[in-house]
Amino acid sequence: MARHRILFLASVATLLVHQASAQDAQVMHWWTSGGESRAVSVFAKEYEKRGGKWIDGASVGPQAEHAAVLNAIAGGNPPAAFQWNIGVAVRQLAEQGLLANLDDVASAGDWKRHLPPLLVKNITVDGHVIAVPVNLHGANWMFYSTKVFSALNMAPPKTWDEFLAEADKIKAAGYLPIAMGGNAQQTGWLFYATLAGVGGKEAYRKVFVAHDGQAAGSDEVRRAFETMGKIRQYADAGGTNRKWNDTLALVETNKAAFMIAGDWAKGDFSAAGMTVGKEYGCLPAPGTQDAYVMTVDVFAFPKVTKPDQIAAQRKLAELMMDPAVQVEFNKFKGSLPARLDADVGSLDACAQVGQKVMAGGEANQLPNFALAFGPDTQGQIEDLLIHYWSTPGMSAVDATKEFSTIIANAGS
Amino acid sequence: MRIRNLAAKAVLSPTVLVMLVCFYGCAIWTAYLSVTRSALLPSYQFAGLFQYVRLFGTPRWNVAWSNMFLFGVLDILGTLGLGVLLAVLIDRQVHFQSVFRTIFLYPLSISFIVTGLTWQWVLSPTIGFQNFVRGLGWSDFVFDWITRPDRAIYTLVFAGVWHQSGLIMAIMLAGLRGVDREIWRATRVEAIPPWRVYLNIVLPMLRPLMVTCVVLIAIAVVKSYDLVVAMTGGGPGYASDLPGKFVVDFAFERANIGQASAAAAVMLGSVLTVLAPYLYLELSRRDR
Repeated sequence: MARHRILFLASVATLLVHQASAQDAQVMHWWTSGGESRAVSVFAKEYEKRGGKWIDGASVGPQAEHAAVLNAIAGGNPPAAFQWNIGVAVRQLAEQGLLANLDDVASAGDWKRHLPPLLVKNITVDGHVIAVPVNLHGANWMFYSTKVFSALNMAPPKTWDEFLAEADKIKAAGYLPIAMGGNAQQTGWLFYATLAGVGGKEAYRKVFVAHDGQAAGSDEVRRAFETMGKIRQYADAGGTNRKWNDTLALVETNKAAFMIAGDWAKGDFSAAGMTVGKEYGCLPAPGTQDAYVMTVDVFAFPKVTKPDQIAAQRKLAELMMDPAVQVEFNKFKGSLPARLDADVGSLDACAQVGQKVMAGGEANQLPNFALAFGPDTQGQIEDLLIHYWSTPGMSAVDATKEFSTIIANAGS
Repeated sequence: MRIRNLAAKAVLSPTVLVMLVCFYGCAIWTAYLSVTRSALLPSYQFAGLFQYVRLFGTPRWNVAWSNMFLFGVLDILGTLGLGVLLAVLIDRQVHFQSVFRTIFLYPLSISFIVTGLTWQWVLSPTIGFQNFVRGLGWSDFVFDWITRPDRAIYTLVFAGVWHQSGLIMAIMLAGLRGVDREIWRATRVEAIPPWRVYLNIVLPMLRPLMVTCVVLIAIAVVKSYDLVVAMTGGGPGYASDLPGKFVVDFAFERANIGQASAAAAVMLGSVLTVLAPYLYLELSRRDR
């Protein structure tokens, strides 16, 4: 009898252990910096609160994480979920049949109604939802030094023309008019800001959403390239291959008036002990007051077969889409919740501005390269932009022509 | 005897296997992928020379490819020249020669990443050498090669030579020390100036050693990915791009395995075309 009891207890114990492991979820991501790891731990804590066990799989940098994820999937030991930048790469994984279908969770939560239409389009492959977008970073922000502008007795520029008219005055006062680094990331951000700010949102959408090669060769785009060329003469000579946080340091130390960057720069400012509205300010980049260039992270879920694994994935997907959890997550991440219905009252002043722009409707919601193109096309555009930026002899007309060819070949 | 042979074979066989699978196997695999339309994941459907047509129509590739030859030739000549010169100078029994040897060998112990980063700072016009000289009073001094698209590749050569010449010096010095003292005595009797002895007698004797050096530097040139990434990032623009960086960018960031494989195949092909005749010539000379 005693032996039976022991056996019974043992089997209950294994059952319990088994049940506990059923809720184990390994989540792979590359969020390791201070604010980022605090952000991801919001998900972890919430998952544990809901009865699961979060196994953190952090890699250093996107490339390492991509390799680790693909290896884990190929090796037959996939994680419960993994982070990726939204875009074609995730879609390709789904087309290969490697990702779980989240249709039931998505329709239960009515995701379609609460997400920006461009995101819905991007996370849907062959009519199935395959990923959870968790944030909306804005790439077209102007971060400026309040000290420099008050010393100049000027307001930050509202258009690029205004900037170009004032830049000589800023320079004469001993400040760098714009902090800019010559690498693909930063020329990309500047291009978003000049294309939306000078070429206009309509031209931007034609190129980025419709992949219209003719629009990419239009006068609007040419004017954006011309503006970039004019901005170049107000950047410093030390910008070659300078990383974005080193460039941002020029604003932090009040050497430069402003920098065009994404809202992830806020993390750098707060690490330097600076607060928005005091030492630095944020405004949409010149001419883009009613545009928000979205940069989005998603979580995707590898296809698994065991019911308990599937349950764990469902639970993760639900909580990542929970509006309150998304707000909490984005408080640390520095971005907006991907859900437009989330209450962002507790986020900072920049996020409030961004949310208003996003709420202005689809016309204001612009895609970044990753949302609009495959990595290959994005690479070609980045090569062109960085080459144009660092080659003063290249004309805006030639750059526009090359750009038009790239877009025409991008496919849909 | 048989057992010893067997042991040697057993010990060597993993190496041979790794060589066959990892080097030759992967080279062939890569070459095959270059004639497919592989993107994020490999595809094995033959697609002709499409990738090569696109590759040579890409301005960035043409810059990177010609840079490899420019960088390669200058780096090999510069490193070999400086390394041999340093070795000869130390061979002339200078004082504190072990100190010099250590100083010249030191850069080699620093990784290419650190080398590149350090030189980037030194050469940056706003914080580096130019700024320093201007601070001394020459306010018009200009040294901004690293920011000039037409000059940036030479700054890479500079860093490469700085990094590698110590190794060449050490190898050549070992060779010079091995030269028979009788030769030196004989030339002294004939009153031949030392520089002629080096140029016409000693260095030609060390030819096989130089071939080794050339191969070593050539390998460093082909794999000089980290130096570019740390120092110029291929910039300004893509003016100082090298094929190694091109391949890595396309394979990993741009999810275009086909382009990356084609670039890698061209890289291997061009290195073989240049190096194979040279090695063949030198090795057959040794047999004679």
